Parts: sequence; C-alpha cells; structure tokens
Amino acid sequence: MSDPLLSVRDLRKSFGEEEVLRGIDFEMDRQDVQVLMGPSGSGKSTLLRCVNRLSEPDDGTITVDGEDTAAMDDDDLRREVGMVFQTFNLFAHLTARKNVSLGLRRVRGFAKSEAEDRAGEELERVGLADQADSYPAELSGGQQQRVGIARALAMDPKLLLFDEPTSALDPELIGEVLAVMRELADGGMTMLVVTHEMGFAREAATDLLFLDEGRILERGPPTQLFESPEHERTATFLRRLTDLEAGQHG
Amino acid sequence: MAESDSRSAGSIDVGNRYDPLEALGILAGALFWGWLLFRWLNDWFGGLFVPQSQPFLSPSLFEFFPALAFAVEFAPALASGVWLTVLLTIVGIALGFPIAIVLAGARVYGRATRWVALGYIELVRGTPLLAQLFVLYYGLGLSSFIRELPGVGTVGVIPEQAVWIAMIGFTINSAAYQAEYLRGAIESVDPGQLQAARAIGLSQVDGIRYVVLPQALRYAIPGWTNELVYLIKYSSLAAFITVPELFNRASSIASENFRYLALFSLAGLFYLALVLTATNLMSRLEDRVAIPGLGTSEGR
Repeated sequence: MSDPLLSVRDLRKSFGEEEVLRGIDFEMDRQDVQVLMGPSGSGKSTLLRCVNRLSEPDDGTITVDGEDTAAMDDDDLRREVGMVFQTFNLFAHLTARKNVSLGLRRVRGFAKSEAEDRAGEELERVGLADQADSYPAELSGGQQQRVGIARALAMDPKLLLFDEPTSALDPELIGEVLAVMRELADGGMTMLVVTHEMGFAREAATDLLFLDEGRILERGPPTQLFESPEHERTATFLRRLTDLEAGQHG
Repeated sequence: MAESDSRSAGSIDVGNRYDPLEALGILAGALFWGWLLFRWLNDWFGGLFVPQSQPFLSPSLFEFFPALAFAVEFAPALASGVWLTVLLTIVGIALGFPIAIVLAGARVYGRATRWVALGYIELVRGTPLLAQLFVLYYGLGLSSFIRELPGVGTVGVIPEQAVWIAMIGFTINSAAYQAEYLRGAIESVDPGQLQAARAIGLSQVDGIRYVVLPQALRYAIPGWTNELVYLIKYSSLAAFITVPELFNRASSIASENFRYLALFSLAGLFYLALVLTATNLMSRLEDRVAIPGLGTSEGR
C-alpha cells in the first residue's frame, strides 16, 4: 500500500478562547471522496482551511502526499490542494475564462494563449464553454460555482476541498453543481467535501465523517452512518437532514 | 440564452445614441482646448503667430459687447497661467498616484509600515497645504538647491524653481489624499477575493496586484475625480510661493488695472472649464473600464 494522500494528525485550532478543532485524526487515499458533515460551529470549514493553510493550525501535523504542509511553501501547497468556496469568490473583474487562466499564467507560468486554451478546456469540462467570455455577475450562481470548480481544476490539484459548495445556491441550481462534482468523483479526483447534500454523500462518498464540537464523532461508509449510526447525536442530526430534504423535494 | 442577453443588455450603456447637449459640450471643449493649445504654442515659441500674451483677434472688434472685449483682451495672459495650473494638477495627481498605492497598501496590509503610512497621511492631511508649500519653499533650502540645477528657469520650457517646489508639494499632498481614497476602495473589495487568489497559489503581492487592485482602482474613480477637482483649485495656492499660475496671473493683472471682479470672474470661468473637462474625462474613464456587476449595488 502506498502512503495516504492526505493525513491529518491531532489537528487543533482555537480562535481566542474558543477551541474549534480539538484533535482531529483522519486519512484520505487517492481517489477517496470524503464528506464532512456536522452541525454549524462544529469546525468543518476550519478543518478544510487548515488543510490548505488559509488558517494556520495551532497544533498537529498535516501531510499531503507524504510532505509535511508546515514545512511547505504556502503557494506550493495550494497548487496541490485546490479549494471551492461557498460564496464562489470568482474574481469579479475577470471573465470566466480569465478567472481560470489567471492561476495558470501567474502561478504555473503558462504563456497567455496556452493558458486561455487550457482555461477553455476546463470550462468545457464543467459545461460552460459557451459562457467563457461572461463576467461573474452575468452568470447564475450555479454557473459561477462551476467556474469556481474549473478554476481549481486548472491547477491540476492532487486534492480538491469543497466548502459547502451548494449552500449559497437556489435549490434549482444545486443539481448542476452536484452533477459536475459527481463526474469529478467518478473520474478519480480526490475530494474532501463539506456538504449537507445527503444524495451526494450517499452516492459519491467513500466515507462520511461526522464532526461534532471539534472532534470526529463518527466515521464510516455513508450507508453505515445513515442506517446504523453508533451515536445518538449522529442519528439525530442525519434524521433531521433527511426530514428536511424530504420536505424540500417532496 | 435569451435570459442572459437581457441581463447583460441592461448592465452597460453603450451610448450610441446622439445627444445634442453632449455634442455641444464636446464642441465647446474642443474650442476651449484648441484655443489654449494654440496660445501655449504661440507663447512657448516666442510669439509664433502673435506677440506673447497678445490676443489673436483685436479686442476692438468686440466693442459692441464690452465683457467679451475684456475677455478677449485678458484671456491670453491668463492662458499661460492655465498651463501651470494644468501642469501642477497633472503632476500632483500622476506622481502622487504610485506613492498613494504604496501608502494604501501599507495601510491595509502592512504591519510596522502601517504606522509609517498612517503617520505620513495624517501629517499631510492635518496641516494646511499652504503651510506645506511655505515650508518647502522657504524652510528647507530646497529653493536654492533647485535653482542651482542646470537649466532650471533658463532653458526653454523648463520652469523656474518655484514651480518645481509646487510640483513636489502637490505630489506629497495629493499622495496622502489619494491614499485614503484608495484605502477605502481596497477595503470595499470582498476579502474572499484575495482569499480565492491565495487559494490558487498566488502570493499575497500577486493577489493584491492581479485581483484586489484592478477592482479597487475602479471603485476609487469617483474619489479620484474628487481629488482631481480639488487639486485644480488648490493649485491656486502655488500663487503664494510666486508661481505664475492662473490665480497669480489674474491677481497680478488686476493689481495693475484694478478690475478685480472682472479678472477673477474670467479666471473663475477658466477654473470651471478645467473642472468640467476633468469630471467629463473621468466619467468617460469610468464607463470605459466598467465591468458588468462590478461597483454596482448587486455586485458588491
């Protein structure tokens, strides 16, 4: 067996007095899709941001592909670990194509035409080839998020982090984003996803991690957690999500 | 598709329709600047068409309308002052701009440098511009230093030392004001923008350069217009360190013929024309660099 792609050991993070992460341990192999769930304030987003060091961990070790991220240059790390944001965060002054090509040019050193061609390919991959010259404000939320995914993909990351990628979207736009994510998962992309989309978790996740008060309370394949959770808290939380989803779609 | 068309159609005004008022404004502007340019060329080349500061047409032609005859007689002398007013304004804005970017960057992103920038900005904004000009002109030995430089005041269009000191003063002053406009603009860019730039591996400096500043500079245009308009008028303070700009010219001519009201009214019209030109150009710039959704309420 090769080393895990991502390994997180005893990760801790506090903001002031509040300890948000209280010792997180988990690993991800290549092509894993792990879904993080948990009540708000349980530390899901903070955990993601520690992985690409947008937040600096207080304690613990994170290694990506065997390399300790604390010893890596932040910019090198972020080339390997892409991130998709809840609020898309597309560069508001750039067209979809330029959003994707900026990193190619300024980080990976592509020439302009090369970068734009590659950006076009990435946009095609998320089904937006015809919107390449639109500005973010001219795109729907779902389209913006797909550009956000294309922008992250263009850097050829080894691992993609998704921070609640659909929770800022109108319900009718969620599907198109989830479809792209599922395709990525099927294509073998390693993905760590914070989401409360039960359908995605059930169908695409190799593992589900349930975070509560800064700890991983329970983990396992999604069917196991959905059908026979060990902890009452997990059961209650997942039941509420299921009810909510039934209410929305039924 | 139809939906996205209607969305983009409303966001930018392409302005192809003919507007008679705008056309009149452009015509007036072209006449004013054309005339100014001819005056400047005439005076720089030692009276290319008519003797320096003499009108192209005799004021006596306009005797039927005394105010016009007055304007025709004295406008040429004021035109050379307008040149210095324009020069001081443009130099102040243009050289102050790069300094302002550094100051604003330090204010927003710096640690120790934040306090240095803040100190500079508050010192400059907290003291009168006239006092700053006096310190530069009388207080620092700068005058005698610049006067000794080769060519100053003696060769062709190289202006005399007082003009140099005024340019330095306006640059220092405008940098501080522009820095504050820019800081506000930088802070109104969503922090998620820099975060996203960092997340694809751009360094902090590149993130600021390629993501934050292009947006902030667009947000800063209205404030920048304001600064330009102020500077056009504040440049009159250079009169007090002997720079023969517009206000100085009007005042010295008036002290000979005592037609203060008429001369300052005429000078006022020149200032008005400069300010209108500036605001017009800046609003064109704003339209030119506008990006759908950026800087409008929905985009922010």
